[in-house]
Amino acid sequence: MVLLQPDPFLNELTSMFERSTEKGSVWVTLKRSSLKSKVQRNKMKTAGETIEYRCLVRATDGKKTISTSVGMKDHQRFQASYATILKAHMTALKKRERKDKKKSAVDKKEEGSKKP
Amino acid sequence: MVYITSWDEFVDRSVQLFRADPESTRYCMKYRQCDGKLVLKVTDNKECLKFKTDQAQDAKKMEKLNNIFFTLMARGPDADVSEVAGKEQMEMQPPKKGRGRKQ
Repeated sequence: MVLLQPDPFLNELTSMFERSTEKGSVWVTLKRSSLKSKVQRNKMKTAGETIEYRCLVRATDGKKTISTSVGMKDHQRFQASYATILKAHMTALKKRERKDKKKSAVDKKEEGSKKP
Repeated sequence: MVYITSWDEFVDRSVQLFRADPESTRYCMKYRQCDGKLVLKVTDNKECLKFKTDQAQDAKKMEKLNNIFFTLMARGPDADVSEVAGKEQMEMQPPKKGRGRKQ
């Protein structure tokens, strides 16, 4: 398991997506973590210190796993870059082309931002 | 494995799950380019919620959900305002364009 900084992690994630276009999957997991053991956390609680939580992000392509830890300060920037990467790679999903009048009325509300 | 069909239900229940147990709840995503399938899973190791799709529009909804989870996890489970503001802001924009199109 390779722990990286957020930026190298994003670069590796991009290459993972590129490598698995023909076959294979990409798994990404998000979890909250303070990166401290339970003992340390209890000690901090009794001492009255606030525990700083970070968001742990793990990605794997089945063979290699990479991970990174994102804190409050970086999370906005990270989530913007992460969203861009996902948007760029999720090209294989189908686009809805239904022309039902009833459904398009509902879809327009949802997809208003999609259609320029 | 519970596969949920409604996106909104999936979002509401996963946020509830996270708020109830932020320490053990995790959000997983699996994407297969060759099959064109996306599967989302939220679990706290006791209960599991899943959502699968092959629609491009769901990828956008998933991005919003990603934002929600990132905020909840980085700031703490009481990050109420950002979640609501994020969702409301997104809901605000489409209706304006929707009205324009109908007219």
